[in-house]
Amino acid sequence: MSKESTRDPAPKRGVSRRQFFKGVGVVGAGTALVPESSEAASGGAAFKPGKHSITLKVNGHAVALEVEPRTSLLYALRDHANPPLTGTKLVCDQGACGACTVHVDGKSAYSCNLLAMDMVGKEITTVEGLAGADGKLHPLQEAFIAKDALMCGFCTPGFLMAISAQLKKNPNATVEELKHACAGNVCRCGTYPHIFEAMVETVKKMKGGA
Amino acid sequence: MSQAETKKTTWGPREEHTLINHHLRRLDAPEKVTGRAKYTHDVHLPGMLYGRVLTSPHASAKVTNLDTSAAEAMPGVKAVVKLYSDEKGLKYEGDPVAAVAATSPELADDALRAIKVTYEKLPHVVTPKDALRKDAPEVYKGGGKGNLRQSGSRGDLDEIKGIMAKCDVRVEGEYSTPIMHHVCLETHGVVVDYRGGDTATVWASTQGTHSVPEDAQKALGLKNRNAVTVLVDYMGGGFGSKFGLMLPGEIACKLSLIAKAPIKMMFTRHDEFVAAGNRSGCSVKLKLGANKDGKLVAMQSEVVRLGGLEQGAFAGLPYVYNVENVYSTAAALHTHQDGSVAMRAPGHVQASFVMEAAVDEMAAKLNIDPLEFRKMNLKDTAYHRQLDKGAEVIGWNRRPKKAGETPLVGAFKSCKRGMGCAVGTWGGGGYASCVVDTFIHSDGSIATQVGTQDLGTGTRTYIAAILAEEFGLPMSAVEVRIGSSKYGMSVPSGGSTTTASLAPAVKESTTLAKRLFFEKVAPMLGVKPENLTAKGGKIFVQGQPDKSLTWKQACKVLGRDNIAAQGKWNAELQGDGLHGVHFAEVEVDTETGAVQVIKMVGVQDCGLPLNRTAVESQMNGAMIQAIGYALLETNIPDPVTGNMVNANMDDYKVPQAFEIPEMIPVIDDGDTRNVVIGMAEPAIIPGAGAIANAVFNATGVRIKSLPITPDKILRGLERLKRS
Repeated sequence: MSKESTRDPAPKRGVSRRQFFKGVGVVGAGTALVPESSEAASGGAAFKPGKHSITLKVNGHAVALEVEPRTSLLYALRDHANPPLTGTKLVCDQGACGACTVHVDGKSAYSCNLLAMDMVGKEITTVEGLAGADGKLHPLQEAFIAKDALMCGFCTPGFLMAISAQLKKNPNATVEELKHACAGNVCRCGTYPHIFEAMVETVKKMKGGA
Repeated sequence: MSQAETKKTTWGPREEHTLINHHLRRLDAPEKVTGRAKYTHDVHLPGMLYGRVLTSPHASAKVTNLDTSAAEAMPGVKAVVKLYSDEKGLKYEGDPVAAVAATSPELADDALRAIKVTYEKLPHVVTPKDALRKDAPEVYKGGGKGNLRQSGSRGDLDEIKGIMAKCDVRVEGEYSTPIMHHVCLETHGVVVDYRGGDTATVWASTQGTHSVPEDAQKALGLKNRNAVTVLVDYMGGGFGSKFGLMLPGEIACKLSLIAKAPIKMMFTRHDEFVAAGNRSGCSVKLKLGANKDGKLVAMQSEVVRLGGLEQGAFAGLPYVYNVENVYSTAAALHTHQDGSVAMRAPGHVQASFVMEAAVDEMAAKLNIDPLEFRKMNLKDTAYHRQLDKGAEVIGWNRRPKKAGETPLVGAFKSCKRGMGCAVGTWGGGGYASCVVDTFIHSDGSIATQVGTQDLGTGTRTYIAAILAEEFGLPMSAVEVRIGSSKYGMSVPSGGSTTTASLAPAVKESTTLAKRLFFEKVAPMLGVKPENLTAKGGKIFVQGQPDKSLTWKQACKVLGRDNIAAQGKWNAELQGDGLHGVHFAEVEVDTETGAVQVIKMVGVQDCGLPLNRTAVESQMNGAMIQAIGYALLETNIPDPVTGNMVNANMDDYKVPQAFEIPEMIPVIDDGDTRNVVIGMAEPAIIPGAGAIANAVFNATGVRIKSLPITPDKILRGLERLKRS
């Protein structure tokens, strides 16, 4: 994922750090961690605190949004998109549980750790887009159903996205590789043994060309 | 056709079930794998506001100044409430101070930051050691002295001391379990839709759909419970912590009374750790005495429950085992920490760990196989059957016969393997409350509805299974409606009482519906209703399969009429009293102190299992939570600041993919009771004890305090080396 821009301390185009603080004022000072992060918004035009109109490509559709520079992709999907895309779950909000995993340009990423404005021009896939356009479920979704790899279901979208990204990379992935792919995900109901069974089932099916 | 004529309802012979007691697919799995399942956290309403709570950063404090004017003046902030009062004070980190509602989550966060609070910190105690100090500040003034309250005892101390002294062998120890957190992935919260007027709708992440209306009605000042509709389509985990409106719900109602707009109030993860309740810890002094022949004779125990501001839970000692001569005391030790609430088998997990560690130590001291020693001291033969089964499945004979005397294995030849076992018990019975309705219409639609909830336990699925089996239909042909307080009354899902309370009422409802339906259909086939059978999507005359109607044809008979059949609880369809055992095999790295559970076997009875898949999933999940309890999870309070230092999911580690061993859940089919019993809670009880005992078997180190972290192992190994 393109995290470079968020890590670059040097001001780029757009507001300087000082301007940013001035604009935010006292109330918003706590948001100061996200200045100059995203020139991607509106093709690198200057951005200020407050709302910005951006368009994200989510599940193949253009999604117009009004977000602030500090808005994470997770909040953008769940709370700012209209209609909201709530399949992606908010659990820890700090990249410690995997519940918010989506695909960014085909790779798995924690949407709570990405800024929405950095995502312009990227292909975002959420659990709502994992099935085919015709509604045919991904083999992994089928296997989760068949193997009872879920209970309350709150972690399920995150596991599906994490594992399916690895399967995209390597359709013959071993269970060990797939466990690594979702090692950052948490299921509190404890469905792991059945998730592992679903992995085996999926790889078997995908090999069979199903 | 009065209901009084109903023949006695039974579950019928086991071999005749077509759906019940089979492996069934979860009905709502397709919704959950596509992201379509809408949890409370996912509800969006036009004009909805986001609520946030400002919580106390101090364990004990007074507020000397609370200025919310800047927050109130912010555009987009629609309501601000002060939640602090001098009488209440602030008694724990997480105690609410104020709350806001704003048009976006980001804005709500800003509004919280704009609230100016001046705190006067007061002395606090957040550890048992500090709470017991002579000069410790009292958490509760009045009603007793110091922080040790609610003490009681049973037995005659002098008599027990005398008997103990005569015992051939004694073991003695101090044991402790930590405060643990539920870590429900969906935090506690609600969406309250009240815009003024006489009625309100509340979406709630709750274990009790019908536990919320009354609370919400009171909080909103409405006429009675019927003024509030509570909806719980899906909920993201509760584990005992979610009943009633709860703190976020109470606060949301306050905000909505001001804003007259829908409020979504979900706890943040930090709120969840510090203010949503927890599993109480304990510290226990225990002495056991036994005779040379392996019979437990006497027990002396001193239990202190650690429930923060609450009482905590601890099941009676001796737990499960037969010990005739007992003296025990129990008390609650209060600290300035969020109060404990129920968590999966409250009291039992703590008591089982303590008792099982002592029993295991006694077996080792007597040089008796710990499994045989257990059988010698457990009266109930269900345990004998389950212990034998578990031993066979895990391969008990592979274990080192003498603790710690096992070859080093692993890539660096630094690991030792061992096995342990433990037992647990639970009630799981039901009670009268549920009202279940089944409807059949002439278009062939058939539905059962009741205001229960599915926590991931599979309630929805087994209701469908009971209904579909009754009418010989596939599960896809029936409909189940749950999760609304507008449907019939149902019990809150606590204490594993749902299955035994609900399933009998479902069975009564579907049985009556079938009888009423057959009365309508029988004349069409020119027979008496009692000669009809429903099977394979058809209604036919017994013994004359050619004389039949398809389901659709049969339903047409109803014309403009329909079938409506209500069922209530039938005590004879449910039971009480469960047994379970766990076996664990662990690998302990003697260089790093790390413990890995490599295999775990659970054997659990539950009478008649409704959905074997769901029971197995529950057993796996319970064992995994037990692994977290045994090895990883603990609330870490800082005695100096009074803060919980690991109130986030990075620092509070729960089991993940690489902590999961090979797991074998075994449903105890030796239990032939033809009744349903809830089993989700007992399935967790023996886990921590089994793992701790396996660690002893592998290394010779007896860890008496959970979680079993590497530092404890390394210290234990060091002590062992020196002695």
